[in-house]
Amino acid sequence: MDQSTSDNPQKLFAERKQRVLDTVALQETDRVPFSYFAHFWPARYRGVTFEQAMNDMDLANDCAADAIRLLQPDNYFANQVLTGFGRQLAALDYKQLEWPGHGTDENATFQYVDKEYMTADEYDDYLFDPTGFYLHKFMPRVAGVWEVFNHFPDIAGGYGWKLIHMMASLGSDEAGEGLQKLHLAGKEVNDATLKVIKFWQQMNEEGFPLGAAGRITAPFDMFADYLRGSKGAMLDMYRHKDKLLEAMDKAIILLMRDVEKGPQAFDCPFVFIPLHWGLDGFMSPDQFNTFYWPQLRSIIHQLIDRDLIPFVLWEGDCASRLEFIGDIPPGKAMYMFEKTDMELAKDVLGDVVCINGNVPPSILNTGTADDVDEYCKNLIQKVGKGGGFVLNGGIGIPDEAKTENVVAMAQSVYKYAN
Amino acid sequence: MDQMQIDAAAEKEYSVRSKRVEDAIALRRPDRTPVHLAWRFWPAHQTGLSFRDAMYYPDKMRIAAEGLVEDLAPDYFQNPLTNVAIGNPLETMDFKALEWPGHGVTDNASYQYIDQEFMAADEYDDYLFDPTGYYLHTYLPRVSGVFEPFKQLPDIPGLYYLRILAGSKGFAQPGMRETFDTLAEAAGQIDVLISEIASLTQNMAAKGFPVLQAGTAPAPFDLFADYMRGSKGAMLDMFRQPDKLLAAMEKATHFIIKNTITMAAGKSGKQIFMPLHWGLDTFMSPEKFETFYWPQLRNVIMTLIDADFIPYVFWEGDCTSRLETIADIPAGKAVYKFEHTDLVRAKEVLGDVVCLQGNVPASILNTGTPEEVEACCRHLIEKVGRDGGFILDGSVGIPDEAKYENVVAMMQAPANYG
Repeated sequence: MDQSTSDNPQKLFAERKQRVLDTVALQETDRVPFSYFAHFWPARYRGVTFEQAMNDMDLANDCAADAIRLLQPDNYFANQVLTGFGRQLAALDYKQLEWPGHGTDENATFQYVDKEYMTADEYDDYLFDPTGFYLHKFMPRVAGVWEVFNHFPDIAGGYGWKLIHMMASLGSDEAGEGLQKLHLAGKEVNDATLKVIKFWQQMNEEGFPLGAAGRITAPFDMFADYLRGSKGAMLDMYRHKDKLLEAMDKAIILLMRDVEKGPQAFDCPFVFIPLHWGLDGFMSPDQFNTFYWPQLRSIIHQLIDRDLIPFVLWEGDCASRLEFIGDIPPGKAMYMFEKTDMELAKDVLGDVVCINGNVPPSILNTGTADDVDEYCKNLIQKVGKGGGFVLNGGIGIPDEAKTENVVAMAQSVYKYAN
Repeated sequence: MDQMQIDAAAEKEYSVRSKRVEDAIALRRPDRTPVHLAWRFWPAHQTGLSFRDAMYYPDKMRIAAEGLVEDLAPDYFQNPLTNVAIGNPLETMDFKALEWPGHGVTDNASYQYIDQEFMAADEYDDYLFDPTGYYLHTYLPRVSGVFEPFKQLPDIPGLYYLRILAGSKGFAQPGMRETFDTLAEAAGQIDVLISEIASLTQNMAAKGFPVLQAGTAPAPFDLFADYMRGSKGAMLDMFRQPDKLLAAMEKATHFIIKNTITMAAGKSGKQIFMPLHWGLDTFMSPEKFETFYWPQLRNVIMTLIDADFIPYVFWEGDCTSRLETIADIPAGKAVYKFEHTDLVRAKEVLGDVVCLQGNVPASILNTGTPEEVEACCRHLIEKVGRDGGFILDGSVGIPDEAKYENVVAMMQAPANYG
């Protein structure tokens, strides 16, 4: 982008960061910011397979860096923490995901495996002793390398000599090998994380601020995605209502612990909250207001209280939720929408929260650069009016997007005034 | 006699002795009063082994004990290795709640429990919210140095999806590999101990002498007073935060029972030894006893009885004021051993309910003559044991410094007085 290269990177970094922060604060800025969010598009742009990027963090970093240099965004998502972590997922024997070359095709994106990882009658175990439940039951089910904790004694309640005798269960060769595997898997993750840190430093030097450094989930999604499976969680709303509510209250406390570690380490206040099961098609407004929004709202409020910025991705269409989800402090968060009508969102939420989105994948994948330009122009002029808008793809840049279309989206913020 | 005849004779002796104890516990009148051999360092003292060597050489301690069991021919005996020959794993795990011969006390003194606040007064909520998490992150690193790196582990029940990757880094941090190696080493040492324990039990069974104890369990109050809050802390908690203490004891009971039953599975005996520390007459008022001590202890006793175990409860000190209260258990299903409580008085109150055990004073066994021991035993057998429901024992088993001839006199008394 010629508009930027004349400036020095430190100055650009400060301007970009401030532009997004001002937008969050609902202040009008010199132009609408553009946010870079992608999964495997950088691999495609560089001409390597998804599988190659997935299994080589250096390569995944290089692809992302090139894409960012091409598009000159105001901030970026380092999605290599997912799309470059193939070796680490394999080392952990992680079972809740299939990924390129490991369950999906070398050029197909990852796929979450919806399954019941916690049975309906295990809510009591979770509520009584969550770490015990995780160590002995949940973690070995979702990450094979944690199976070593099947050998770990039920330490709570251990005391004196008995605590000593309990450790006998760790003496088998199997336990020893298991602990070593866990240790090595941890090291793999550590090594890859160091590479992500280097990437972040490099991007800082080149003038690009990070767009999110923490991640949290809606409590209902925690149970629906990762514990009970979607069917289980849906049924629990009817069959185990009180347990589900109680377990979500407990999960809020556990999820919130340590959430500021990433933001502190990467000097970036944004905490990403992708939402799955609260959208219009999955539950009624009543259920949304019982099982989804109060718990999510609690997390959003707590993040704001800790001076963090919730960056909530409302997937699917959430038009029927707009009237409820404005109940947060103004100018403290960002709502990204996938398919919700942005002009409607602006009408309802414009005074409360910065909105982010949502050039459709259909246009980015199959349209022309002019189509993209036209679409962006409309968003910038209508939704960007008065500030409080960040341009982005519906779910960022789709894996199959045409390069010229992505470039057209990135350039539009320089062409059109809000 | 050839070997087969010897074996057959031993087998018969084994069942006669077991039956004798079984009858006494069921409040039936056995052929004569059974006598128990319970001890700690006395086998070392008696055979010239230092207490320190008894702690660190399970095989030497086993050999010392085997000779004495054969010489003294008790009806059953307590395996002394379990709580004595644990020097190696204690040392390896850097266990801080105990001093022992060669590690804090001299080579020929018994071990000493360290009364200390390992759990702070304001940590009840952490324990109640997530007991295993509290143990992992807070309690274990305080009582056992090997767990120091566990302080840095993530909050495991807050992990999901990509956070599981990040969380697994915890197992790669400095010191964790050493912790795993050290735990495996300790577990190996415990394996050696366990095989010596099994050998002693089997070797003596082959000679006709049973071990009837399958495990140990604490009173819930003692778990907190001895091992977590310290005696002062637990005493204050009865006044300052009674509700938290009560809730925590209720939670701990779940683990006490679960651990006890798991660890007792497959053992030959059915008795669960429950030494009691803070419920005796002088440490708390009757009202406190009936609020903080007895209901929780009774719950453990009843659950063990329901699981077909025999609670073998050791009421240390003087518990005269407790006798009426503690009669509230099913008849013929447990053993109450008393240290200083007058057994004749105990028999009047508890004779229809529970088999009594005790209590030849340590002072007589250490400093008296065989005639004095005999007179004491005769008194007990005739007054307490007349109609069954009584097992002869030292008040604290055989004290470490008891005279050999006095122990012999005690072991032989039932044969002389019925």
